[in-house]
Amino acid sequence: MLSRLILRAAPAALRSLPPPVTVGVLHATRPLHTTQRCLGPLPPLPEKGGEVRYGLIPEEFFQFLYPKTGVTGPYMLGTGLLLYFLSKEIYVINHETVAAVCILSVIIYGVKKYGSNVAAFADKLNEEKVAKALAVKNEAIKDLETAIEQEKKEQWRAEGCSFLFDAKRNNVAMLLESSYRERLLMVYNEVKKRLDYQVALQNLKRQKEQDHMIQWVEKNVVQSITPQQQKESIAKCILDLKALSKSAQAAV
Amino acid sequence: MAGRRAAIKAIDWAGFAERVPPNQRAMFNALKTRSDALSARLAALPEKPPTIDWAHYKATVAKAGMVDEFQKKFSALKVPEPVDTQTAKIDAQEREAAKSSAEYVQASKARIAQYEQQLQKLRSMIPFEQMTFEDLHEAFPETRLDKEKYPYWPHRPIADL
Repeated sequence: MLSRLILRAAPAALRSLPPPVTVGVLHATRPLHTTQRCLGPLPPLPEKGGEVRYGLIPEEFFQFLYPKTGVTGPYMLGTGLLLYFLSKEIYVINHETVAAVCILSVIIYGVKKYGSNVAAFADKLNEEKVAKALAVKNEAIKDLETAIEQEKKEQWRAEGCSFLFDAKRNNVAMLLESSYRERLLMVYNEVKKRLDYQVALQNLKRQKEQDHMIQWVEKNVVQSITPQQQKESIAKCILDLKALSKSAQAAV
Repeated sequence: MAGRRAAIKAIDWAGFAERVPPNQRAMFNALKTRSDALSARLAALPEKPPTIDWAHYKATVAKAGMVDEFQKKFSALKVPEPVDTQTAKIDAQEREAAKSSAEYVQASKARIAQYEQQLQKLRSMIPFEQMTFEDLHEAFPETRLDKEKYPYWPHRPIADL
């Protein structure tokens, strides 16, 4: 009897078995093993057990007797049974009865006062476990999503390899073109240099010839001036100067 | 006459730069500087050299046949175009690169499919509150304790606890 009491009290007060059972909906009538073996996932177990009155007698008993005996029926039955057991000495009152009463009252007082606190504490422990598992799952989902995004980005990057080869070909084309142009320019420059050299050479020769000729003519003229002619030309110059000075004096 | 002006395509350097992965950025920068140097050199050279004024030279140079000879030889001169040896190699490289990148894309797609699968599995899992230990071991096989290898509790090496 005591063990039955504890068994009944335990689910109502302490629910600390991991993993926790949850989402209670099914109340009184739970179909157990009514159908064939079910291979799919089972519905979740109810959160609370069946209701009991006074921690001992299930509610179904009262509902069972209600149509015939009304509300007080089960109580009458209980009282009658109790008096029967006591009067016929089927249950003997001795020292252990007193001990049982004391122990039970202490236990019931303890459960009633601290039961909800202990339950809350145990629930918190469970919550933490579940929250940790959930966090791990969420992180795994997030990691996978970022990995997928990265892969897509890398694919997009790999598409850009054509750019590289276009750039290389462009470089080659530019190099060829520029070297071709350089060659053309070089040819032009060389020819122009040669032609200019010829022109410059010609000009120089002509100039030299001119200078030489002028010098030779001068030399010859100077040579041909005899002393006689020199005297005559000097005298004439003096006469001209006198005449000029006279006219200048007159002008002034 | 083929290949006089191999078309110089306009390259979108900005788009190219976006697609370069960070570990290859140095190579990209080197390529870009080289490219820019080449294009600057090309732009600095005139397309055709200026023409030589033959009339002026014919009038000035006294030697009779020289200018004519020069003119004849000049117009007959053909500057050889530089031969393009590299484009074939570049095309071969491009084909190889296209092949390897196609392979990479394939592998990448396979990886994405794997990830998608795992993601699907994670998303369609039952909530932890409704799981039993058996369900947990099915969803995450690594949590299963090996009772054959370690028959005694705690069914795993003590160091792993």
